[in-house]
Amino acid sequence: MKIAVCFKIIADYDRMSEKDWIWDTGHFVDTSFVRRVFNCFDESALETALMLSRQFETLSEPCELTAVTVDDEQGDLFLRHLTAIGYSHAVRICCTGQPDLRFNSLVIARLISRYIQQADQQLVILGQQGGEGDNGQTGFLVAEQLGWPCIGEVTNVVRAGSSLLLEVESRIDGGILRQTTALPLVLIMGNSLNSPFLRVPTLKQKLNAKAKPLTLLSEYDLGLDSKALHNTDKVLLSLHRPKKDRSCVFVNGKTAREQAKNLYDHYLKGRLPF
Amino acid sequence: MALTRKEIVDHLKNIAGNDRVITDEQVLKENSHDRYKKMETIFGIYTTPIPAAVVKLASTQQVSDVLTFLNENRINCVARTGGTATEGGLETIVENSVVLDGSQMNQIIKIDSTNMQATAQCGVNLGEFEDRLREQGFTMGHSPQSKPLAHMGGLVATRSIGQFSTLYGGIEDMVIGLEAVFPNGRITRIKNVPRRACGPDIRHVIIGNEGALCYITEITVKIYRYFPENNQFLAWALDDMALGFTILREVMVEGYRPSVARLYDAEDGAQHSFDQFAPDKCVLMFMAEGNKRIADATAQGIAAVVGKYEECTPIAGKIIENWFNHLNWGPEKIAEERELIRKTMHMAYTTEVSGNWDCINTIYENALKRIREDYPHMDDLTMLGGHSSHSYQTGTNLYFVYDYDVKECKPEEEINKYHIALNALIVEETLKAGGSMVHHHGIGKYRTPWTRQEHGSAYYILKGLKDQFDPNGIMNTGTIYPVE
Repeated sequence: MKIAVCFKIIADYDRMSEKDWIWDTGHFVDTSFVRRVFNCFDESALETALMLSRQFETLSEPCELTAVTVDDEQGDLFLRHLTAIGYSHAVRICCTGQPDLRFNSLVIARLISRYIQQADQQLVILGQQGGEGDNGQTGFLVAEQLGWPCIGEVTNVVRAGSSLLLEVESRIDGGILRQTTALPLVLIMGNSLNSPFLRVPTLKQKLNAKAKPLTLLSEYDLGLDSKALHNTDKVLLSLHRPKKDRSCVFVNGKTAREQAKNLYDHYLKGRLPF
Repeated sequence: MALTRKEIVDHLKNIAGNDRVITDEQVLKENSHDRYKKMETIFGIYTTPIPAAVVKLASTQQVSDVLTFLNENRINCVARTGGTATEGGLETIVENSVVLDGSQMNQIIKIDSTNMQATAQCGVNLGEFEDRLREQGFTMGHSPQSKPLAHMGGLVATRSIGQFSTLYGGIEDMVIGLEAVFPNGRITRIKNVPRRACGPDIRHVIIGNEGALCYITEITVKIYRYFPENNQFLAWALDDMALGFTILREVMVEGYRPSVARLYDAEDGAQHSFDQFAPDKCVLMFMAEGNKRIADATAQGIAAVVGKYEECTPIAGKIIENWFNHLNWGPEKIAEERELIRKTMHMAYTTEVSGNWDCINTIYENALKRIREDYPHMDDLTMLGGHSSHSYQTGTNLYFVYDYDVKECKPEEEINKYHIALNALIVEETLKAGGSMVHHHGIGKYRTPWTRQEHGSAYYILKGLKDQFDPNGIMNTGTIYPVE
């Protein structure tokens, strides 16, 4: 089994205040002073793949995990984290001239799918959207370009009785769908209360990972040229930050009991369905 | 004959009223511990005896009445306000203990802008207190990470320190006067004056007593003008901690008083994502604040000191400012941490110590070396490092930080297998090098094996306080003083 997990590193937007959202004429918001983190959906995808690979390994079935990102050299730190916790290969695709790919899911999908084909992967797992562009398209476009089946809103995946079958759990309107599927396949990780957190490498694992090589690829290595990186399906015209006004009411009461009663009587009672 | 659990509760209800004596089992469980035994409580395991009752105290006189009853009947009590203690000081290790909860004594009594002091009851939340001060253009200058949750009584009781300590000092430098109740019911008030030479400074009998001598009911602290618009952040990357300590010392000895002066090693820095800005480097950072002239002079002076060291590479102050503004722990972070632990069985703890400039690097190096060589579960560690975050004319503190995956043990065994064992190695190496085993968390219940060694011949004085003020031993048994 060969699994590729595609992930994105984004600025930790929780650490940006209202005044930090300023953009230049090229519509770029300066986030250089904010730490970068794994996109949360991708984090679930990365850990889910690790857990899946362990299921194969316990049955002595080979399972090769590859982490793929499209990023500049800042992505290397995160790739090292992944090699430390068990990813066999770490691949960074870095495009010439570092084009603006924030809202260019099509090009991201093109790069990823070329790599998947080259590396002969059987399963691709991605998060459903990244905090930066919030496009929510990359996974579907990857599936389309590969010509593979695709399942969205995935919440869990396990081995299903054979090394070529997976049981995939996903959210659908009003319920959970559990299906057994064959490979190849694209899985798009969605939101779930049970989303796993990415594990932390031990000191020993971190030390060992330093010696592991990272693979750096350009668009040319993937058989593409710089023309293929142009955003052909959309043009970014402007950015607008929605205003979020909030109101606040202080619940009165001398004791906690009185406060709770006032909260219930005046603010909750009318909203409850019974 | 000792009173039964029911008799204790009945008496307490007679004194404080039915509504103020809580015996709900879940409330009792939550009040049997603090943030020390995180893992077992996350899994709903409570190995510490559950208290007989929690008394929600309403007034100083009520504190006196309750303590008188407990003292006469030799019933152990644990003083509690915000509940953010990290060293087991709030654990109710004696059967049928009573938790004295002062969180409802939460009135800000006075903000005195002439004499630059403010008075609050023990249950005033520090965050709210500071907000009220800032509305009027003042600050207390006290900002521990627990600010959103901690209460004034607990902060004083544990000899707390905040993130701006290098300018404003620890809580002991801020407290002017106090009101406290001793176990025999005696209410004492230490008056608020700028200084006096009228015998020993008796404030220090109360500050840091961790509920082992008396119950703090009211505190008066200094306040300062607040000039956030003048804050300046400065930071540098450098190769090793020894050089960082040298520079920290030079900044302090030259007389500069930044509010923040911190030095992170590369491992600890990576936890805060500093490796994204300074890979494999230590990070030295400062914040200059105060009125504009002082802030400017402080920043310029520090930059001149650090500028002499070619090994230091500047880091954008905005990075540090952004990081620093997200350091505090509110209820949402506590909840997130508990969920993370439950899902990942991954823990993080710290041990904070201090030392003079001539031994601090020895403590740093020896403690880490000892752990690497002697700790039997090194393979489970995911992080081991440290930082200095509070500096003085004479020395600095060290915050050792260690994270680990909990493997092959039950939740209730985790604390012994990992935290207690690692903490012991650090404390031993610190004392061996001449440092202090606790910088600002308090001794609690788990560093008491070294209380005598920490104080040496001066333990006579410490013991004398217990003998004098709590002869029946009802005040937070096992805290500060080892159980005989």
